[in-house]
Amino acid sequence: MSDRPAPEAFELQALLDAAVDAVVLINHRGIIEVFNHSATRLFGYGSDEVLGRNVKILMTASDSERHDSHLENHVRTGIPHIIGTAREVQARRKDGSLFPAFLSVGRISGCDPPRFVGFLQDLTLQKHALAAVQRESDRAAQYLEAAQTMLVALDLTHRVTLINRKGCEVLGCEEKTLLGANWFDRVVPSDQRRKVAIEMDALAERTPDRPHYSEYSVTATSGELRLIAWRCVALHDDTGAVTGILCSGDDVTDSRRAEKEATETRERMMHVSRLATMGEMASGISHELNQPLTAIANYAHACVRLLASPDADLIDVREALTQISGQALRAGEIIRRLRALVRKQSTQHEQADLNELIKELDALARADARSSDVRIILNLGADLPHVSLDRIQIQQVLLNLLRNSIDALESIPCGHREVTICTATDGAGDVIVEIADTGTGIAVDILPHLFTPFATNKALGTGLGLAISRTIVEAHRGRLEYRANKPRGAVFIVTLPSEQGISG
Amino acid sequence: MITKSQPTVFVVDDDEAVRGSLKLLLKSLGLPVMTFPSAPEFLAAYRPEQAGCLILDIRMPGMSGLELQQQLNVRGAVIPVVFISGHGDIPMAVEAMQHGAFDFLQKPFRDQDLIDRVQKAMERDAVSRDQLRELGHIRERLNSLTAREREVLGLMTLGKQNKVMAGELGVSQRTVEIHRARVMEKMEARSLAQLVRMMIELEHQGD
Repeated sequence: MSDRPAPEAFELQALLDAAVDAVVLINHRGIIEVFNHSATRLFGYGSDEVLGRNVKILMTASDSERHDSHLENHVRTGIPHIIGTAREVQARRKDGSLFPAFLSVGRISGCDPPRFVGFLQDLTLQKHALAAVQRESDRAAQYLEAAQTMLVALDLTHRVTLINRKGCEVLGCEEKTLLGANWFDRVVPSDQRRKVAIEMDALAERTPDRPHYSEYSVTATSGELRLIAWRCVALHDDTGAVTGILCSGDDVTDSRRAEKEATETRERMMHVSRLATMGEMASGISHELNQPLTAIANYAHACVRLLASPDADLIDVREALTQISGQALRAGEIIRRLRALVRKQSTQHEQADLNELIKELDALARADARSSDVRIILNLGADLPHVSLDRIQIQQVLLNLLRNSIDALESIPCGHREVTICTATDGAGDVIVEIADTGTGIAVDILPHLFTPFATNKALGTGLGLAISRTIVEAHRGRLEYRANKPRGAVFIVTLPSEQGISG
Repeated sequence: MITKSQPTVFVVDDDEAVRGSLKLLLKSLGLPVMTFPSAPEFLAAYRPEQAGCLILDIRMPGMSGLELQQQLNVRGAVIPVVFISGHGDIPMAVEAMQHGAFDFLQKPFRDQDLIDRVQKAMERDAVSRDQLRELGHIRERLNSLTAREREVLGLMTLGKQNKVMAGELGVSQRTVEIHRARVMEKMEARSLAQLVRMMIELEHQGD
């Protein structure tokens, strides 16, 4: 350093003017000796306007009052007051307006009396930015509070770091009692606690930006369980490390209950409708059951008599016993099918072969058809793709359509009463079932209300059959349609989408 | 064509198991049995002179039991019909009885009930066939009478005295006595009462 020549005055001025901060140099009495370029820009004074004047002109009234004594004290005692520490001050421009500034003051040693240099940084922009950040943060807090969604943040030890008003509302307790509490121990029912905690921990370890959806219940202070649909994301710090989990939850207790009730109502309706159909078929079915029972009774009586005679033909006896077991199974099978249809159960979808389904139904329907002297013709297409369906419900639809056809044939002379059931695949891969009769068909004035509930032209009908059938088919993403048969009669067409059709 | 001459139980039921079981049961009772799966097949094979009884299912596809019964009536077949029916068929059973069915059984039935009814039906068939045969004989004898003898027979059954008849016919009382003796002889009647009964039966059958 000592080798280098002292900087020239113009060089120093250039350095000062290049500085971003305002630089103000004063002597021990506070008289301004240097006022750089940034300072003139910041304060609105030209340097010639301030050089030789007391630095107090750059201060607020209260600061300027105390400045002389501070300065005098320091010069006298050497105890630093503001020297070496930086602080935020209000500075005054030439036009009298104030602005926030960051001030650091240094004492220039090596001269006596001492001189001081002040560096000022305009904080106006930073202040605005901070205020904006604060406003954003306030607004976020407002959103948080106003949200109709539960928002809960947890740290990695499952402690609650944030919970909004809705969250408190659902749980029925105050924010302060929840903050810091272990979320799972506090609100999650013990039987779900472990499973949910594992899920959350897995989420924290997963790659970011993939929200995790789950449903679990929380216990309110009142002891009531509320079912919540959760969407959880991991929270990260600047380095990308996971710091916790943010969960938003919607209370779905009421909507789930309503959904469940609606489903139950629908299923009840279907059940009632099935029972009604069964009632209409009861005579035919009881006849169908009587046949094997009659045969069994007769064969058994025959056995007793055959065995009572000394020269009994055991071949006859064996034949009778074989028949008995066969007929008992036949009766059991009818009852099994009947029970399956009458049983009340919730919707269960499975992959099924419609042809199989129709063959199964045929045994029940045939009894009914027989008593009405109706011939059922099955025309089942080969290689039908499987369809995802609820067996009972689709059988209900087909049985209902078949019943309608049988009823429609009542006024047709015996020997001409026919119902044809066809299955086929259409071009789109959907499976089609057509139930066609040679009956009286549907009158034109009824057509618009054909699928409307309680619109019936049957004396004993509930008017629900076709409406429920359509509901069921549509719940299977299928269609139920009608067209007139030629030369007369009705055709009902059930179209059900197959896996093949969906993928293709 | 049915060729059996001994009384036979005929069974018409479209259900193979019911048919087969009835066949074995009746066979175990030592009764000749013939079964048919449909009414038309039975009608095609059955001759009215074949003795026995018919066990008939009321409900069958195509021609029902009731229709078969009517066909038999039209053909003058006297075979007694025992209907078998399920629970829901009571109105049909009533109709069957009104059309002269012998009896009906509800499925399933006890073997003793079936046996009782079959036996009674067979007895009834035998009796009615005897009666028919007897009536046939009476008619033959009646046909052997001369016109005058028939006139005398008519007056006899009205209980007219010989003297009154002679007056009505314009012949002598002696002639009436000769006609009268010939009538009794030809009709193989041992008494006037027996002769009157024969005529009542003939008249009754004519109904």
